[in-house]
Amino acid sequence: MKVNKLCSIANDKLDFFVTWTALDRTNLSDGRKLAVNYFIVAVILFFAQLLFGIIAATQFIFPHFLYSWLDFSVNRMVHINAMVVWMLYGFIGCIYWLLEDESQTDIVGLAFGKIAFWVLTIAVTIVVLVYLFIQIGAGNDTTLWLINEGREYIEAPRWADIGIVAVVLTFFYNVVATFSKGKWSGIAGVLTLDLVALAGLYVAGMFYMTNITHEQFWWWWVIHLWVEATWEVLVGVIMAWSLMKLLGVKRKIVTTWLYIEVALMFGSGILGLGHHYFWIGTPEYWLTIGGFFSALEPIPLVAMVVHAVYDSGSHAFKNGNHPALAWVIAHAFGNFFGAGVWGFMHTLPQINLYTHGTQWSASHGHLAFFGAYATINIAFFYLAIQHWRGNVWMSGGNAHAWRWKWALGLLNVGVVGMTIALLIAGYEQSFIERAVEGSTWSGYFAAQNHPSFQSAMIWRWFFGAVTFAGLLLLIWDLLTIGKDETRKAIVIVSE
Amino acid sequence: MNEKNPLWASESFWKKVAIWVTAGAFLLLVILTFDSLSQTQIGGQRVQSYSVINKKIDYVYQPDLHKSVPVIGETELLFGQEFSEEEAQKLVTLGKKTTQAKNCMNCHTLLGNGAYFAPDLTKAWLDKEWLSTDLRENLMVQFLLDPEKNARTFGSDRKMPNLHITPEEAKGVVAFLKWMSSIDTNGFPYHFKTINAKEE
Amino acid sequence: MIQPVALSDFFITFFASALIILAGACYALLFAWSKVNSHFYIKLAAYLSYGVLIVAVLLLTQAANFTGYWLWLSVVMVMGYFFAPMGIWYLCVGTHSDDSHKILEEKL
Repeated sequence: MKVNKLCSIANDKLDFFVTWTALDRTNLSDGRKLAVNYFIVAVILFFAQLLFGIIAATQFIFPHFLYSWLDFSVNRMVHINAMVVWMLYGFIGCIYWLLEDESQTDIVGLAFGKIAFWVLTIAVTIVVLVYLFIQIGAGNDTTLWLINEGREYIEAPRWADIGIVAVVLTFFYNVVATFSKGKWSGIAGVLTLDLVALAGLYVAGMFYMTNITHEQFWWWWVIHLWVEATWEVLVGVIMAWSLMKLLGVKRKIVTTWLYIEVALMFGSGILGLGHHYFWIGTPEYWLTIGGFFSALEPIPLVAMVVHAVYDSGSHAFKNGNHPALAWVIAHAFGNFFGAGVWGFMHTLPQINLYTHGTQWSASHGHLAFFGAYATINIAFFYLAIQHWRGNVWMSGGNAHAWRWKWALGLLNVGVVGMTIALLIAGYEQSFIERAVEGSTWSGYFAAQNHPSFQSAMIWRWFFGAVTFAGLLLLIWDLLTIGKDETRKAIVIVSE
Repeated sequence: MNEKNPLWASESFWKKVAIWVTAGAFLLLVILTFDSLSQTQIGGQRVQSYSVINKKIDYVYQPDLHKSVPVIGETELLFGQEFSEEEAQKLVTLGKKTTQAKNCMNCHTLLGNGAYFAPDLTKAWLDKEWLSTDLRENLMVQFLLDPEKNARTFGSDRKMPNLHITPEEAKGVVAFLKWMSSIDTNGFPYHFKTINAKEE
Repeated sequence: MIQPVALSDFFITFFASALIILAGACYALLFAWSKVNSHFYIKLAAYLSYGVLIVAVLLLTQAANFTGYWLWLSVVMVMGYFFAPMGIWYLCVGTHSDDSHKILEEKL
């Protein structure tokens, strides 16, 4: 039987791969074993994100590439969906990682958590396969339930929506039951409330509406309040725990600052939602609300700058994981430039009238998602791999350290390069298509055909390839770092 | 040394601030949401009833407001048929579902949201590339039925793929686009020159 | 009501907006640094950054045609970015007030 033969070959290869990585699961607690499952799928989806991103980028240069086989719409959908889902996988993994430590007990209902992981992963696989091979359906409810909802970022069909909510509820049960059995803390409280918001908001995007203004209104509730509010706080929770464990900062200080951050983030972020309600048919007062709160959104970032300087004056940092720390620093810069500078540059309605729906948004999106969320997940992957190897030394002088440094460099240079290329494209587009030509279809194409736009697309492709190379190196490094390391990690003592 | 922290820098103080700020911001959002949803009901000033597809729609610049506003004119039937509100709703709904089922939003933008590989559809009904208001609706349907053959790439080489849209769905999409072009979008897109502006 | 940016003011709008955030962060950074290291030049550089921020806000106010209540946005930015770093700094000192930071506090 050919199939049998193929299976046994695949099995051999997999065995060989597992032996080669020499990762020992017995180094991990039960909760952390589940966490690394989430991290593995996250990395695979990260790969898918970049693969389909680069195919879509190719189609900007060669529109006939894979035409009517794998059209731009499909590639772009997989590109952004893979991104959202891998980041969520990363966050869920981070939470499972810290849950036992923070609650000081075993995870309650871990068996359900494991089932939920497999249910989610199988569901994601089916959704992606349907995206790729069925792609579209007739204009009726069956399509929206089974194939594709056709709404940017939350395209997943309705059946998958319900599945996602069920899985998130299981995850939520794990978290709450574990804290209830063990110890509650300020971090636990913020996390629990944030997860309620995260799950609740998703439901807001699960309904069909013909009134497109209402539909996009709720759609932004999900997208904006996830990305610019609940996700930010989730990162705050993860960072708060990491600061205690990695740098030995006192719990009380970390918790107080988590509260301050929640106040600043939610205070500016919730009504910052207004900057998506400028042009979708909603009342004019959103121009003012959106403008004002968008101007406030950089305040949390300024707070971080001040705090970082304060800490550098009072700590002599000893750090047990150099790659993770380097990625946290990349997070600080990426978040500041991507969300802060790039966000504010085009957010006021007086200019957003021209930049809305152009490559400006793509430019901002690439840097902000990478800087705010990809970086912090990667930092956590390094933390996980360190413990998976048995908490080995990662504080400099590691073998093959060039790999993580080059991966860091290539990924950052790649994303910044794409951001600048898209910025040029967006500037040209808002100028020619919007301001000069008055946003007509001929104006759109006049801008798309302009030499500066065309060369920007080539540069974007080039830096996309750099990013892709960085990811390949990152995966290789994650699989091998600390493999032959015998020294134990330095011990961080709490203040 | 916990006691040393002044009140305004204490954990309990900031816990309360975080809760009140979050609750306050969220409450405000809920109130504004109720107001916005009621102001954007079908048939209101901002979002027209579906039977607006029986009317002439235009989008005219108002210098004193620094923006263009939708203008609903006299009767201008779609596909030579007068639709009741119910029939119109049915047709626009079919069109809206079709735009979702065919994943239009991952190439085009609608109300400026979506992907940037193909032109914005917000005022597609009013675009002057449909040559004349008499030819428009049939050109649109033909294009949707066979976008490859009827492709107009404007020299970009980008073509819409054949999405196997049925004639009925195509009519629905056209009705949806016509209805959407009547939404008051606070002047987006700016300085848009409509198909009617050319005629006048 | 808004008055959209004129075509000729596009670049200045993007530039001034970016500059506001950058100068604001620079000022925050230098202000905090001047607290750790009370050197005259650092303080001077901090206030220079703040000066750049004011110029940037003025440029944006003009380019984005702020009139009426929109002018409050300019005021909020000028005031907010001035006081926010101070407030955050005192919060840092306040929240960290224990033994391990004594040296720093004495310096203040």
